[in-house]
Amino acid sequence: MIPMRRHSQYMRHAALVGVSAIMLLPFYWVLKTAVTNENIYAYPPRLLPESPHLFNFVDVWYFIPFPRYLLNSLVVSVLVVASNVVFNAMAAYALTKNFPGKRAMLLLFLSCMLIPFQATIIPAYLITSKLGLLNSYLGLAFPLLSTIVCIFVFKAAFEAVPQSLVDAARIDGLSEGRIILRVLMPLSTAAVATNVVLAFIWSWNAFLWPLIITREPTMQTLPLGLARFLSYMEDTTGALYAFAVMVLAPSIFVFLMAQKEFIRGLTSGATKG
Amino acid sequence: MMQAAGQVSGERGAWWRKKRTRELVLVTCLLLPSLAIFFLYRVLPLGWNLLLSVQYWSPLKPPRWAGLDHYEEMLLYDDVFWQSLKNTLIFIGASPFAIALALGIALLVNSDLKGAAVYRSIVFLSYPLMTVAVGIIWRWMYDERGGIINFALREIGLVAKPIPFLQSFDWALPSVIVAEIWQVLGFYMIIILTGLQSIPQHLYEAASIDGAPRLAQFWRITLPMLRPSLFLCAVVGILNSFTSFDLIYVMTNGGPGHATELLITHIYKSGFGQTKFDYAAALTVVQFILLLALTYLANRAAGGNAGSLERQ
Repeated sequence: MIPMRRHSQYMRHAALVGVSAIMLLPFYWVLKTAVTNENIYAYPPRLLPESPHLFNFVDVWYFIPFPRYLLNSLVVSVLVVASNVVFNAMAAYALTKNFPGKRAMLLLFLSCMLIPFQATIIPAYLITSKLGLLNSYLGLAFPLLSTIVCIFVFKAAFEAVPQSLVDAARIDGLSEGRIILRVLMPLSTAAVATNVVLAFIWSWNAFLWPLIITREPTMQTLPLGLARFLSYMEDTTGALYAFAVMVLAPSIFVFLMAQKEFIRGLTSGATKG
Repeated sequence: MMQAAGQVSGERGAWWRKKRTRELVLVTCLLLPSLAIFFLYRVLPLGWNLLLSVQYWSPLKPPRWAGLDHYEEMLLYDDVFWQSLKNTLIFIGASPFAIALALGIALLVNSDLKGAAVYRSIVFLSYPLMTVAVGIIWRWMYDERGGIINFALREIGLVAKPIPFLQSFDWALPSVIVAEIWQVLGFYMIIILTGLQSIPQHLYEAASIDGAPRLAQFWRITLPMLRPSLFLCAVVGILNSFTSFDLIYVMTNGGPGHATELLITHIYKSGFGQTKFDYAAALTVVQFILLLALTYLANRAAGGNAGSLERQ
C-alpha cells in the first residue's frame, strides 16, 4: 500500500490493540476463573486471581470421566484425520485425470459442499442407526471421513506437481498407488498438513452429531462431556472453566503450530470454490 | 464351444487392456470411498429428508403418506416455528454488521504495518475453537456476579444493577449474537484479506495519479473488487444460523421461553426431544429453502456470478 505517515501508523496500532484486547478478554477471563480458588461468585470479581492454583484441573481429571472423554475424542479424531488424508488424496488424484463425466462429478462435489451437515441430521441419524453404528466410534466419525474442501486442497497441490515427474514414475513401472504415495504426497506436504489440521479441528469440535448418536456416557466425546458437566453443576465451580481450558488447549496449540496451513485450507475452499 | 469361450475371454482381455477403460476403473475405485460417504451423508439424507417431511413417521410402524400436513401444522399452528424463524432472520441479519467490522479490521491489518501478522492471529484465534467451550466462556462473561461484562458496566456506571443478559427476554438474543460474532469475526477477516490481496495494485496507482482521494478509492475500487469475498462472508453468515446450534445449546438452550430459539434448535428439539422426525424434517426443508433463497439474494446483491462455482 501507499506509505503512511507515522501518525496514522500509531492510530492503526491503537485501534488494533483495542480490537485485540476485546478479542483476548474471554481467554483471559476463563483462564483467570480456572485458577481461582476462592468462591468464583464473589463480588466484585477480582481482575487478578488471588493465589492461583491448579486444583481445578486435578478435579476435572479425577472427578469426572475426563480420561474417558479424552480417549473417545482422540480415537474419533485419529480415525477422521487418517481417513481424510487417505480418501481425499485418492479422490483428488482421480480428479486430476481426465475421464468422461468429470465435469458432472466436480459439480456434484461442489453442490454437496453447499449442503450443511446440520440440514441432514434426521435422515443421517436414521441411516446410521440402520447401519448399526449408533454409539460407535465409526458412527461418530463417519460423516467426517472425507471432506470436499480438503479434496480440493489436495487436487490443487497434485496439479502443481509437474506432469513429467508423474510420467517418469509411470515409465519406471510404479503402480498408481505408489505414484500417489511416493511421488505426489511427498511433494504435497503442505496439503497433507492442511488436511490433518482441518480434519482434526472439525472432529475435535464436533458437537451436534455426537450429541445425537451417542446414548451412553462411555462413548461421549469431550464437547459432550463439557456440556454434561455444565448441566450437572451449572456454572458454580472453577472446575468447569478448567475443563473448558483443557479442551481448548489442543486446538489452540494446533492452530498456532499450523496457522498457515489452516488458513490456506479455509481460504482455498473459500476462494477457489 | 471352447472356441467361443476363448473368444469371449479374448475380447474381455482386449477390453481390459484398453487404456481408457483401465483408467475409468481406476478413477472409479479412487473416488468410491469419498463418493460413498457423500452419498450416505449428504445426497441421500437430503432426499430422504424431503420424503420424511411428507410422511407420518413413527419408530415402529411403516411410514404413511401425510401430504402437506406437517407444513400446515408448522405454518398455521406452531408459534415456536414463527418465533424461531424470526430469531434466525435476526441472527442472519446481524452478520452484515459483523462483516463490516471485519472489513474495517482487515483494512487496518492489510498493510506494511509492523506486527500486522500478530494482530491477524489474535483476531483469528477464536475461530478454530470448540463452540461448546466458547459458549461456556461467554455464559460466564455475561454472569451477573462473576462476569466481567456486568462488572465493567457497573464500574463505569452505565448500569446500577447487573443485567441478567442470558435470562432476559430482551437481551438474550443480542448477547448470543455477540458471542457468535466474536467467534466468527476472524474468519470473515481472513476471507476479506484474501480478497484484498487479489486486488491489482496498479488500480490504486492509477487512481492516485488521477488524484482520486482515498475514500473514493475505497468506494470505487476496494469495495467493488471485494464483492466475491463479501458474498462469501454473507454465505458463511447464513450458514452460521445452522452451525450456531452448539452455542445456543450451551448458552441458553433456546430460552428464556423461546427468545433465542433458532430453527436449528427447534429442529433438534422436535426431532430428538419429542421424536417427531417427520415434523423436524419438514422444519429442515423450510430452513434449507430459506438458506438457498438468502444465498441467491446475496449472490444477486454481489452482482451476479460472484463466487462462481464454475471457476476451477
